[in-house]
Amino acid sequence: MLSSVLILGQMIHINKRVIELDNRKEVEMRRLVIKSYHMEKIELGEKFSIEGKRLILTEDFFRDKINKDLIDNIELKVINPYEHDMYVNSIMDVIPISTKVLGDLGEGITHTLTGVYVMLTGADVKGVQMAEFGSSEGILNEQLFLDRAGTPCKDDYIIHVDVTFQEGLMSSRKYATEGHRICDLFIQQIRNIMKKLPGREYTEKHEYYDKIRPGKKRVAIVKQIAGQGAMYDNQLFSKEPSGFEGGRSIIDLGNVPIILSPNEYRDGALRSMV
Amino acid sequence: MGIGPSTKETTLHHFRDPLLDVATSDDDLDVVGVMLVGTPQDNGDKYFVGKRAAAWLEAMRVDGAIVSCDGWGNSHVDFANTIEEIGKRKIPLVGMTFVGTQAQFVVTNKYMDTIVDFNKSEDGIETEVVGENNVNQVDAKKAVALLKLKMQRGGR
Repeated sequence: MLSSVLILGQMIHINKRVIELDNRKEVEMRRLVIKSYHMEKIELGEKFSIEGKRLILTEDFFRDKINKDLIDNIELKVINPYEHDMYVNSIMDVIPISTKVLGDLGEGITHTLTGVYVMLTGADVKGVQMAEFGSSEGILNEQLFLDRAGTPCKDDYIIHVDVTFQEGLMSSRKYATEGHRICDLFIQQIRNIMKKLPGREYTEKHEYYDKIRPGKKRVAIVKQIAGQGAMYDNQLFSKEPSGFEGGRSIIDLGNVPIILSPNEYRDGALRSMV
Repeated sequence: MGIGPSTKETTLHHFRDPLLDVATSDDDLDVVGVMLVGTPQDNGDKYFVGKRAAAWLEAMRVDGAIVSCDGWGNSHVDFANTIEEIGKRKIPLVGMTFVGTQAQFVVTNKYMDTIVDFNKSEDGIETEVVGENNVNQVDAKKAVALLKLKMQRGGR
């Protein structure tokens, strides 16, 4: 009699726990807000600025910043929407223009521009392309598949940073790395202005939470990323979203697994250098 | 070596990755994190990092994993190894990579039975067109659906 009561007691206890588990609510740990500002006109001019929906870039920004040991020249162009019938060197990367306004990567507030993305291309003075396993130089129309997650839309502007490297560009990581570094320095000038954009005048606002969902299937996303050398590299946790400065190369980290929260990844913790 | 123009994921791709979007929007899943694992040159190192990735997943007590790879050829050696290490630990998984006709797996194992091939080119080849053979929403939905099925059927 006693034992059955005990057993019954245990069962009730167990059932209670099950119920409690099912009723546990989602736990929101951190919030990330991404505000987008849509640009409708991109121009080259004297000084970096954003006037309404018009972004102006300093035309000769690169002139006095080139490390001549590695880079011969950098050309800055603005590619207008639908005007993709032009020759480009191999595409090293397509980069969103985003900046932290509050908090660290993965939490707080991020401002990002829409309607405009940076495209980094590269070759050396003799026309050897900056590419590791096939290259994408040619007519932009034919070499860039638009409207994908990783590429601009047909009606987006493209800020084209074309780097002419010194000879030997694939002999060491330092050439590609320098290309990314200087391109990031350029983007930083835009970021500095974006930090001051009025918080209420965004085009779109998205809120994301890193959360625990008790009782749901626990799933991890594993991404295998390049980590061997020139044009086969990735940089993690830069100071700015999708940035370069302050980041750590996965090669230098020994290629070991690194875990990001969903929001850290979503906030541009990974800079592609492939 | 490993990553061609049409399969490489740009920084913009990582910023608006369809796989993360689809997985975190699914009400049945608790996405615990995104694990990045590199692809070292040396074979011994390849096995080392693959095993460490699987050990992490086991320690995190995940019910399942989606393993994605934006390269092929030599990169598939790392891919196969990491999948094997995860599979051996009885963690249900789905792989995602470019296969097409050109990138048939150079090595394979019994845990590579659920692979979403995100080739988009007509001929199944590395077209050298940036963005062409990349993961999109449909690929991501396929992977999540297949993983849910696998988690339901077996493993944990």
